[in-house]
Formats: sequence, structure tokens, C-alpha cells
Amino acid sequence: MASASDEGDAPRSAGPRRSGLTAIGAAALRPAVGAARLGRRVTARAVDGATLRTADLVLNSKVAGEVVDKVADSPLFERAVSRALAGPLVEAVSRDVVRYAVLDRVAETILRSDALESVLERVDAADVPRRVVDRMLVDGIVEETAARVLEGPELERAAQTVLESAAAERLVRQVIESRLLDEAVDRLLESEDLWLLVEEIARSPAVTEAITQQSMGFADQVADGVRARSRRADIWLERAARRALRRAAAADEPATGDGPATPGVPPP
Amino acid sequence: MSSTADRPSAAPRLGARAQVVATRVHGEPPPPALEYQGLVTRGIAFAIDAFVVNAVAVVVAAAVALTLSALGLSDSLDTVLAAGAAWLFFLWSAAYFVVFWSSTGQTPGNRLMEIRVVRADDGRVLRPWRSLLRLFGLMLAALPLFLGFLPILLNDRRRGLQDWIGGSVVVGVPEAPPPQPAKEPAGFTRSG
Repeated sequence: MASASDEGDAPRSAGPRRSGLTAIGAAALRPAVGAARLGRRVTARAVDGATLRTADLVLNSKVAGEVVDKVADSPLFERAVSRALAGPLVEAVSRDVVRYAVLDRVAETILRSDALESVLERVDAADVPRRVVDRMLVDGIVEETAARVLEGPELERAAQTVLESAAAERLVRQVIESRLLDEAVDRLLESEDLWLLVEEIARSPAVTEAITQQSMGFADQVADGVRARSRRADIWLERAARRALRRAAAADEPATGDGPATPGVPPP
Repeated sequence: MSSTADRPSAAPRLGARAQVVATRVHGEPPPPALEYQGLVTRGIAFAIDAFVVNAVAVVVAAAVALTLSALGLSDSLDTVLAAGAAWLFFLWSAAYFVVFWSSTGQTPGNRLMEIRVVRADDGRVLRPWRSLLRLFGLMLAALPLFLGFLPILLNDRRRGLQDWIGGSVVVGVPEAPPPQPAKEPAGFTRSG
């Protein structure tokens, strides 16, 4: 029994002894490790500084500029740009521009700043609006636009919308019911000039000619009606007379040398 | 440079030219068929003429009577004046019909009803003596209770007694220009 317990206690007694040695070793090595870490940090800083200085030297050198120019002028660069534009890069960039609201942010920044005001002031100072208007007038854009608006269905739709709107109806009602209109009509009727104008129009050759033509047209219509009825009455009367006298109509004999005497009168 | 408004329209000239070409290609167009006019149409035309004749006579008679009344003539002259007026009325009526039948073949009533009195044999306008004969026939036809007009209903060419006496027929006026007197229109026959 005693041996078993000894075998069981042996590892327990060796572990604490080993950890103590490790702790002593670690404490002894701690200064060395710290020195190593310090040295590594200093070295990294020195390498970084040297890299940046080298990069500054390279970027500020004339050679670098010439290299960039040569690369930019080279067909390789052109091919690369073409390839990039033909590829999915544009779509990807556009998606990202939309996703990250780049345009919104840029516009917001511009609107917040005084840049827009400055640009507008410069545009105004350069008399750009007047020049633009002059150019449009000279090029006939205004006439073309007006013709397009007048010929297109948009104006008609807009007018229809306005006329069908309740506001227009109210406006018209207000105008009609207003005392202003009554007064205007009264004054107009009292005006001698109006009646002079009416008299001039009534005496104008165009109006008198139109009235004459209308009257003649009516008389012609009446005369046509009388003629047509009288000719029908002729036919009816002849039929009745021939029936009454029991005389055979000479429908077979030519009326004009070629046909019946009474066109459209069949033999009774 | 003359403007468009100053330039004469080309349409009439084109129409005339086209008519010439069409005539050359197809020949002269056939004359319009004559349509003899019946009793009702002629009666309406005569009624219009009678109204015109009487209206003028009434106006003239009223003016003359007014003038004579102002002169204060004696009553013994009334009978003479009435007889003279009757003769004047007869002459006026006869002259009305004879002149119109002999000149254009159309009285105002005929013109309104678009009919024309022409000679039965060649379609030309009646001569004055034929017009006088026709007027005499008209009165003759009216005397026996208008029986002289009855043949118009029964005759192929719609001729009454006055037409036989005057050698005339009454035809419709075509839409085209009236028939030329010198040219014999188609459709007329010698038989009457």
C-alpha cells in the first residue's frame, strides 16, 4: 500500500519543482527579451523612416516623373485603361458610387460650402445667362420650342387639365358673378365706339355678301323643293288622267326621240 | 416679281385644256336628254307670271288712279278710262309673254321653274308671230273650262292646244348652258 501511494505522490512532488525552475529562468531572461523587443521596435521605425524617405526621394525625383509620363504615354497604359473600361470595373465602380452615396455626399459638400455661390457669382459676372439667351434666340431655339409646344399634345393636355379643374371652374364662376364684369359689360354697351364698330362690321362687304348668299341659298333651296314636287305631281297627274280616260300610255314610243316622254313614268 | 395673289389661277386654264383633250379623245359629249314639262310645273310657272303681270298692273293702275283723282276728271270719262285700262292691261300681258318667249324662251316664272318654251321642230326660240299664236292658243285653251290643257296629260311630248297652235314644246332647262339657237338639239322630232 505504501509503495502505491509513493508511486502516486512522485509526479506531484516533481511538478512544483519544475515550475519553480521555469519561473526563475523566465525572470532571468526578462531583461533580455525586453531588450530584444526594444531593438526590434527601433529597427522597424528606422526601416519605416528609411522607406518613407526613399519613397519621397523617388516621388520627387525627375526620373519618377518621366517614368510616369512614359508609362502614361505608353500603349500598355492605354490598353490597360481600355481593358478596365471594357471590363466590369465600370459597373463595379458605379455600384459602389451608388452604394456609398458618393454623389449625394459630394453634392451635399458642395452645397454646404461656398463653392456653388462662388461659381454662380462668376457665371453672373461673366454675363453667361444673357449670352445663353442671345444664343438661343439667334439659333431659333425659342421658335422651335414654341412651335413644338403649340403643335404637341402637351399644351392641349395642360389646357384640358386646367379647364377641367375645380379651381378653373371656381375662377370662372367668380369672374361671372363679380360686379366687375357687370360693370364692364354695362360700360361696353354704353360705349358709342362699340356700336360704331358693330355698324361698320354690319356694313362691311363681307358680311352683306355672306347674308345675301345665305338668303339666296335659302331661296334656291325653296325653289328646288318646289320644282321637285311639281315634277312628281306631273307624273302623278298624268298617271291618274291616263287611268281615268283608259288610254294607254305611249311609254314605248320615244319621248325625246329615244326614250319615254316622261322620264321615270312606267306605262300604266 | 408678281406675288401669288396677283397671278391668275391656273385651275380654269387647266380645266379648259383638259376639256379640249377629253373632247379630242372621246368626241363631243352627248346632248342632255330633253325633258318635256308637265301640267303642274307649267301651271306654277304661269301662276308666277300672272302674279308678276297683275302686281305690276295693280301698282301702275293705282298710281294712274291716284293721279287722275288729283286731276278731278268728270265721271263720264270713267268708262272710257276703264276700257283704255283694259286694253292696256291686255297689251301689257301680251307683250310680257311674247317678248319673253321670243327673246330667251323663259318668262320669270319659267326661269324660276327651270323650263323653257322652244320650237317643236328645231328647239330654237320662238319667233314673235309664233309667240303671238301661242298666246292666242293659250286663251283658246282656257276658254272651254281649260279643256285645251288636257292634252298635256295625255300627249307624249306634253303638248297642249297652245303648243300645237304655236308649234312649241316646253322643256326643262339643263344644268349646262342653254341650247344654241343655231344648232338643232338632239331629241327633237318633226312630228308633233
